[in-house]
Amino acid sequence: MKNYDVVVVGAGPGGSIAAMEAANRGLKTIFFERGRRPGEKNSSGCGLGPRMWTDFRFMKELTPEVCPSMRAGAASRSYFVNKQGVVAGYVMARPTESVSYEPAKSFITMNVYRSDFDPWLAAFATKAGAELKTSTLVTGLLRENDRVVGIIDEHGEKYRGLVIGADGVVSMVARQSGLRMRWDQDHVTLVPQYDFAVDPQRIDDIMGDETLAVWWSALFPAAYQVFFHDGFHLGLGNWMTWWDKNPLYYLDQVVKLDYFQRLVRVLDARPREYHAHLLPWLGSPGNTHTDNVILVGDAGGFPCPLEAEGIYPAMITGRAAAEVAADAISSSDTSKEFLDLYDRKWQQTSIGEEFKTGPELARIWRALPFSPKETMSWFVPMIMEILGGILDWSQPHAVRVRQVMRHVKLYLPQAVPFIMRNVLPLLEKILGERMDMLTSPEKLIASMPELQEAIASAFEEKEERA
Amino acid sequence: MRADIDSLVTRIAGSSDFIKLDSTKCNMCGRCLVVCTMGLWKKKGKKAYIADDYKSRCVECGACYQVCEADAIDFHYPSGGKGVVYERG
Ligand SMILES: Cc1cc2nc3c(=O)[nH]c(=O)nc-3n(C[C@H](O)[C@H](O)[C@H](O)COP(=O)(O)OP(=O)(O)OC[C@H]3O[C@@H](n4cnc5c(N)ncnc54)[C@H](O)[C@@H]3O)c2cc1C
Repeated sequence: MKNYDVVVVGAGPGGSIAAMEAANRGLKTIFFERGRRPGEKNSSGCGLGPRMWTDFRFMKELTPEVCPSMRAGAASRSYFVNKQGVVAGYVMARPTESVSYEPAKSFITMNVYRSDFDPWLAAFATKAGAELKTSTLVTGLLRENDRVVGIIDEHGEKYRGLVIGADGVVSMVARQSGLRMRWDQDHVTLVPQYDFAVDPQRIDDIMGDETLAVWWSALFPAAYQVFFHDGFHLGLGNWMTWWDKNPLYYLDQVVKLDYFQRLVRVLDARPREYHAHLLPWLGSPGNTHTDNVILVGDAGGFPCPLEAEGIYPAMITGRAAAEVAADAISSSDTSKEFLDLYDRKWQQTSIGEEFKTGPELARIWRALPFSPKETMSWFVPMIMEILGGILDWSQPHAVRVRQVMRHVKLYLPQAVPFIMRNVLPLLEKILGERMDMLTSPEKLIASMPELQEAIASAFEEKEERA
Repeated sequence: MRADIDSLVTRIAGSSDFIKLDSTKCNMCGRCLVVCTMGLWKKKGKKAYIADDYKSRCVECGACYQVCEADAIDFHYPSGGKGVVYERG
């Protein structure tokens, strides 16, 4: 038996930050990774969110010299794909005027391969004095008098200490500590993705800095495309409840789009790797700790409820766990009751703020981009009617405006219930009482027919005269 | 792409077994057959089973374990240093 203050399972972003912060607080710390090096088991989109630069000062040391795959995702494209598989339109956007700090003004995400990023991050932990054991699978939790006291690895080696479960979405620590056997099927997504190789110069020339894309579609759940120095990822996901056939079928629907194929040809992109990974995606994390055990990152269910950004939350919760571990150890009390402090800690962070509207955010994502047949099938043509309908020479422009309005009106029976069910509850949660007027379904329903009537008569009458 | 998916995955051989099916618990719901992107789960008559060569084709996502509400599939990761390697995850 080897004695430590803190034993961390996993050397992803959550584990490495937990280990670094624990070691920085003078705790004797070890962290374990089943891969030969951190990162080689992990797959992500993978964009790093700018909040990482404000909360972790060492992030400014992330440069192409230490992380060759880096490419800033400065601007993003949203492609809108209709039921016929046609890109009906797209919008390009960069950080807007209201974005308040650098580097968020310069990029939406910083894109890196996990095989570069994770080892770089882990090195901060080892520099701080934490011991890293790679190529080692942690297979179980060690118990004494029915209480978890440490872990046991695949070679039967035992390590005593407060256990931080940073072992990702299929967490052995969660399972064996009794915190969770498996996720509810609608609390976790499956995300297959391809990596394509592309010559860096071609990416510069063809994409410029438009190096992020979302493919919103009526044929498949929203897909993402993220460009790195010499390649890109194309992936998509959905909750386990959603899949009706092999998820690769849907990913290949993106690949087959004429528009995507043209992009592949001009970029001379070649498929290079395939990954599949689970990703927790839920409205509110629960069961985050028990006696002598704390779960961080994916193991605890912390990815952002709207877009499932998970690296920053893993790092923030890793830090919170280490702070609580230090307090618990110095108070000689690692009971569940003491560790309740962990929930209070992460709830006070930027991640806690995100989860205040967690259920509403998760619901809107589920109802919109992850419901291609039910929602995107009308949402895409409706949006494109509005965005693209006016720039058209088929009629005098005033007639076109009326045609567009009438056409958009056709989607109201779907759009209005959608807004009432999914958008207004979110606005109400965010804006509070000021939303009272708008968010009363009764008031809205009551006024809807009149509103529709008014729109209809206004346009139809004039149409006849036109 | 699906046809040549195996050629897009690198692996280090030599892991001990890491997926086990308890046929007595399996209720043939068929979810593992749907979500395994590598198509490693099959059924014969009224029994589900996993391909004999799963160790050299699995990408370790754990989806089969996750969807098995009958708790018939036991999954843990392969031995340390073995299994799938993502060079560009
Ligand atoms: C396809 C996809 C795209 C994503 N895109 C993004 C994105 O663009 N941006 C973003 O911020 N987030 C993204 N996420 C989410 C993000 O990847 C995760 O939230 C994040 O990696 C969680 O970090 P973690 O440290 O908690 O867990 P992980 O990164 O999963 O790390 C866990 C580590 O523990 C190791 N491990 C597990 N079990 C054991 C064991 N028993 N013994 C030893 N070692 C073990 C694993 O090998 C792994 O290295 C994406 C996720 C997926 C699946």
